[in-house]
Amino acid sequence: MTDTDLDLSRRSFLDRVLMAAAGAGMTAAAPWAAIAAGTAATTSERIRIGVIGTGDRGRTLIQNINKTRNCMVAAICDTYEPHLTKARPYVGANTPVYADHRAMLEKGGLDALVIATPLNLHAQHVLDGFDAGLHVWCEKAMARTIPDCSAMVKRSQDSRKILQIGHQRMFHPTYLNALRRAKAGEIGSLTQIRASWHRNNSWRRPVPAGVSDRQINWRLYRDSSAGLMTELATHQLQVGNWFFDAVPTRVMGSGSICFWKDGREVYDHVALIYEYAGGRKLIYTSLLNNARYGCEEQIQGSKGTIEPELGRIFQEVPPKVLALQRMQKDVARGKKRAVPIGGATWFPELPVTTPGESLGWGEYDETMLQFEGFGEAVRANKPLPGLLAQAYAASVASLLGEQAMDRGEALTWPTSLVTI
Amino acid sequence: MSIPTDVERFMAMGTRIELHRFGAAGADDALVAARRAIEAVDDALTIHRPSATTALNERLLAGETAPVDDPVLFDALVAIDAVHEATLGLFDPAADRRFAVAGWRGITFDRAAARLYATTPVAFDFGGFGKGFALDRAGKVLRAAGIVSACLSAGESSIAVIGEHPLGGGWPFAVPHPSDPDDSLVQVELIDQSLSISATVGAGTAAPERAAMLRPDDRAVITAPRCAVAVARTGALAEAMSTALLVADPDRADRLIDQDRANRFLFDLPCATARASSARMALQ
Repeated sequence: MTDTDLDLSRRSFLDRVLMAAAGAGMTAAAPWAAIAAGTAATTSERIRIGVIGTGDRGRTLIQNINKTRNCMVAAICDTYEPHLTKARPYVGANTPVYADHRAMLEKGGLDALVIATPLNLHAQHVLDGFDAGLHVWCEKAMARTIPDCSAMVKRSQDSRKILQIGHQRMFHPTYLNALRRAKAGEIGSLTQIRASWHRNNSWRRPVPAGVSDRQINWRLYRDSSAGLMTELATHQLQVGNWFFDAVPTRVMGSGSICFWKDGREVYDHVALIYEYAGGRKLIYTSLLNNARYGCEEQIQGSKGTIEPELGRIFQEVPPKVLALQRMQKDVARGKKRAVPIGGATWFPELPVTTPGESLGWGEYDETMLQFEGFGEAVRANKPLPGLLAQAYAASVASLLGEQAMDRGEALTWPTSLVTI
Repeated sequence: MSIPTDVERFMAMGTRIELHRFGAAGADDALVAARRAIEAVDDALTIHRPSATTALNERLLAGETAPVDDPVLFDALVAIDAVHEATLGLFDPAADRRFAVAGWRGITFDRAAARLYATTPVAFDFGGFGKGFALDRAGKVLRAAGIVSACLSAGESSIAVIGEHPLGGGWPFAVPHPSDPDDSLVQVELIDQSLSISATVGAGTAAPERAAMLRPDDRAVITAPRCAVAVARTGALAEAMSTALLVADPDRADRLIDQDRANRFLFDLPCATARASSARMALQ
């Protein structure tokens, strides 16, 4: 791809975000999107970012930072040398490399941190970043516990530094367009969201010599992760809160280690119901031994359904009346005969097989846009509005769901959260 | 030369709606505008979710004077006032098994003030009227948009046509025998008319939460196998008339049929004995 192609692609992407963000009700629903997409990014005065954690996700983030016009990777850090070795090709030859994040912070020369470490380390790394006077972008979920999530928010507020959490769907043109169409009433009143993230693999990575299983497979152990809830569900719970424009009132659920009985501590099957005001519900399932239904949020309204991962919108179109279809064909053939009609004011409920229509705008580069928005926020020392509240609620929802499953109880939404 | 056709299908009024347009005349977005008109009726008259009607019902059940602020609901009440008289009081959207004296006659509709007063607790259920009324409003939109040939269906029991059949003459419809699909109870031809079918048997009666067919004055529940067919200039009247015929006692059934024997039919099933001579002929 040439620079010109890249410019056109980028412009097209940003135009789509701006178009979606301009819809009725979108200023309140996604105030961050237009600001991020409207950033007049320049190649000068890039903000200098230190990246902590250069595993698979960290390296993906580095590549997206490199695409931005207002951010640059100024240092990288990881406690695991093979990760640093893989990350070096994506940064400048003179970019400092650290094995200890405290050394990176002491060295200075940074404006912000990007954190892509195991979940249980997020809180400490974020707080250390604020203590060093830096702004912080952190991968989702926010932290391993709700108090840690709250501490991160509080410290951000007290230090007047930006805290932005990686929820890329909030910058995704298809999701923004889906929300715009939902706000426009195209699928009626939203009453239920069925969300699932189903995979068919163990989620277990091979452990090289010299490191522990818990270091590599930290997602499988409770001290470092809530498993499916914090690594996958948190994305979709954010989508649920976003489309319902609310946080849950209560959650109940069931979790089990049902298939991968390999010593892991986190559930490989979770099923939860999140209740929202007005009787609305988000029904969530995630599992690791069947991928048939994959990753999707089915956003269900009285007039239709949106499936943003599939990029489709479905109207509640009933089956055709066969007699009227026949009449159409008769007219086309120049034939006129009586149309048998009557009686069936009700019809059996059959599975819908209509293909729906495309939501459009499938190509995207939303992770890049997140960083351009972050860069702008850092430069202005002003957070993108609405983002942190969405992320905080999504992380709390995922962790509350874990607690509900562990206790076998329905749990109400915490009242002690930090106000954003 | 083939005749251009266009169709809009959607769910509303608790059933499936189809709007078929024939010919090139009229605005391109006419069907969508007609759909919006039907959805507006659904939004105003439904009692299955919050609506102008549920708000009205709450006031009336509480014994309060009820303002009618919604223009669609207001027009519906005006139409009901007319069809209630035309059906000898047998169509009554305020009839209620719970309240002995409930009914349209116990309600005062002050049109100038857009207010309803009821002497007893009362609530409206516009089933048996709403679909026909909705098709009337959709038809008005289509005509205003220049459409000259169209067939509108609400759940197959309510039909309205605009103009002549695209091949000329009336639109022919046959009402199948409920227990013998190869046989017809009656055949009719419509031009700028509406057709409504009401029955106590057949697929439609299997609908969940279908309200019982109630005779308003003695609150008798009609369970005998019957099918009524009515053709009228408006869907509202056709709908109300087929409902009225279905619940009518023999005397009033004969009176209603005698008023318009070519357009009103009542069949007592399963023997399908028709009260109207024209319908009897159709069975032969």
